[in-house]
Amino acid sequence: MKKNSKKEIKEALKKWEGEVLNPRVKKFNLDKSPTTFYTPISSDSSHFLEKVGFPGQFPYTAGNTPLEFWRAYAEFGAKLNYRSDWGGTGRSGKYGGFGTPADYRDYLLRMQSMGRKGGPNIAFDLVTQCGYDSDSHFAEGEVGRVGVAVDSLRDFEIIYEAYTGDLDIDKVPSNFTINAPAAVFIAMYACLAKKRGIPLDKLTGTPQNDILKEFIARGTYIFPPKQSMRLFRDTCVFCCKHMPELNINSIGGYHIREAGATRVQDLAFSMANGIAYIKAGLEGGLEVDEFAPAFTFNAFGGSMEIYNEIAFQRAARRVWAHILRDRFHAKDPKSMQIRQPITAHIGCSSTTLQRPLNNLARAVVGGMAAGMSGAIPGAFPPFDEPLGLGHSQEATQLQQDASRILLFESKVTDVCDPWAGSYFMESLTDEIEKDALAELEKIEKMGGTVAAIENGYMQKAVARSAYERQKKIEKQEELIVGVNCFISEHEIDVSINRQVEATYDPQLMKTAEERQKENLVRLKRERNGTAVVSSLRSLKVQAEDKDKNLMPAICECVENDATLQEICDVLREVFGEAQPMKI
Amino acid sequence: MGQDSKIRVLVAKPGLDGHERGAHVVAYGLRDEGFEVIYTGLRQTPEQIVSAAVQEDVDVIGLSILSGAHLTLTKKVMAGLKAKGANDILVTVGGVIPEEDKKTLEEMGVGGVFTSGSKIKDIAAFIRTKIGGNA
Repeated sequence: MKKNSKKEIKEALKKWEGEVLNPRVKKFNLDKSPTTFYTPISSDSSHFLEKVGFPGQFPYTAGNTPLEFWRAYAEFGAKLNYRSDWGGTGRSGKYGGFGTPADYRDYLLRMQSMGRKGGPNIAFDLVTQCGYDSDSHFAEGEVGRVGVAVDSLRDFEIIYEAYTGDLDIDKVPSNFTINAPAAVFIAMYACLAKKRGIPLDKLTGTPQNDILKEFIARGTYIFPPKQSMRLFRDTCVFCCKHMPELNINSIGGYHIREAGATRVQDLAFSMANGIAYIKAGLEGGLEVDEFAPAFTFNAFGGSMEIYNEIAFQRAARRVWAHILRDRFHAKDPKSMQIRQPITAHIGCSSTTLQRPLNNLARAVVGGMAAGMSGAIPGAFPPFDEPLGLGHSQEATQLQQDASRILLFESKVTDVCDPWAGSYFMESLTDEIEKDALAELEKIEKMGGTVAAIENGYMQKAVARSAYERQKKIEKQEELIVGVNCFISEHEIDVSINRQVEATYDPQLMKTAEERQKENLVRLKRERNGTAVVSSLRSLKVQAEDKDKNLMPAICECVENDATLQEICDVLREVFGEAQPMKI
Repeated sequence: MGQDSKIRVLVAKPGLDGHERGAHVVAYGLRDEGFEVIYTGLRQTPEQIVSAAVQEDVDVIGLSILSGAHLTLTKKVMAGLKAKGANDILVTVGGVIPEEDKKTLEEMGVGGVFTSGSKIKDIAAFIRTKIGGNA
């Protein structure tokens, strides 16, 4: 057979469009075809090695490795009935948290009695995330709601009463979804280790420590962007020098997309944030390969459009690898890789409150995309995500089973980057990369993320995109089953009967605020007031000198049982407070 | 409310919840529907919201809460409005509101609850029916 030339294909494509496609489009009275067909001329495969490469090789388009740990032992784990949501060696368990530290500790102990093995993956309440104590007037109604309340090292220690012996902190990792006051929680972790006689270099885990996306999307900021980045720099240097096994941050594009960003904004803004964090580490006097390998990503955003999401993951890996190698001259492959627990997924905002069991079908689609873009095919989130706080045990079970079915029965992860070389996928990957790089350049011209937050560009762009999407939904340009189509009286709202108890005891949640306020009163009565005052004063002095690393001073405050708000108030006084953005 | 003046809406984020998407979408959407919309930004105390509503002489307050603190925060806003003699202001609540809490909110005097999947045009129509006026 004779080889086809590009010219030949191009001509054939034109002919096909004229003779086959267009008559069909015309026959159905459409303006344009709702389907697309790709050919070899859609992508340039002559640079396969540079643009895709092999799994585990630059530019990591095809994946960070040809064989991840989870894939190597998947079948082995299945035969042992290993539950990934329980965590295990090297893994933390399912994300969660509620009530007082004692409530959450008891919950963790109960989960452990049911087989949970991994470290804690802690959700903190909003009061804690915003650097207030449980008795602050801002705390009313919020204590122990979206996570556990932590006001002091003593509270932190109570949670960790569930982690001793085989589950001690030198054996299991901890994840902290904490950003603005991340420095205080890293200090708490260090102080806890010190009290237990565990060397800091044995500590593993991940503090989220991604303040920039809080300004763009998630909203739990405390200090203005520049001062927040100084705190990031200090944690980055401290972790790098003293806790080398601990990840430094978990950079999230996920939150930005959930807040409304488009796919391209998600990628561009996340990359801009990553660049700002790398620069902060360099400013702290570190070499890029000393700390960049300890950066992680908290996935990027997701959507139901799985082709785009798979292309997005491939583009993201390539863009980050190039930024690290070409701009920051990283040599360590780990510095260039996007280390993240999941890849493509649907995003929680794709779930619907209407006919919520359908969310299981949606999550399976996302799990497929995850499996085809280098990760465990996690059918995330559980179907009851939009119904309220805390996933039920049933929804979690269905999510786990769906992921297992994808992994073992569909065998979706038996091929690395199964779309590599597809004319279509390579073309789509190039397109997303190109658009994101253009947007990134725009941000860089403004002076990078901090400037683009200070002038409101990123926040407004995200809000605007959210509204554009809403308009499309209301005009039925985007169709969402059970929300803006298939909503006649002939459809049935399928429900399941609740079999097991609620994840978090609602009664405990209701009384958490009062009980936690009592704990705070007791703490303030029992601690050494002089030591608290003196360590807070020393923190203030250090904070005023922007070249000082604040971590030692924060550790001293934490050790003396200064509360989270007392520490943050000192910093508020020196740094000022971030102002909410109005549209 | 005069026929020639636009309906004035305060979109407010009480408490510490940082989920702003719904508030942004509703603020933009109601503006496009012809309402005069003021958005408070994040982290407003109930007292700040009440005083902004009175100062700006709004007809409607749209509270957006996704943190689970809706009962506590809404109750405080309603009490604040009453104390200022401003309980003629229509209060609506949006966000993650479990079905069983909707009734409690209505008993507090909340005019309408709009959860995920609500359409801007339905919210706008609801406000127009309740308030009348030009928007």
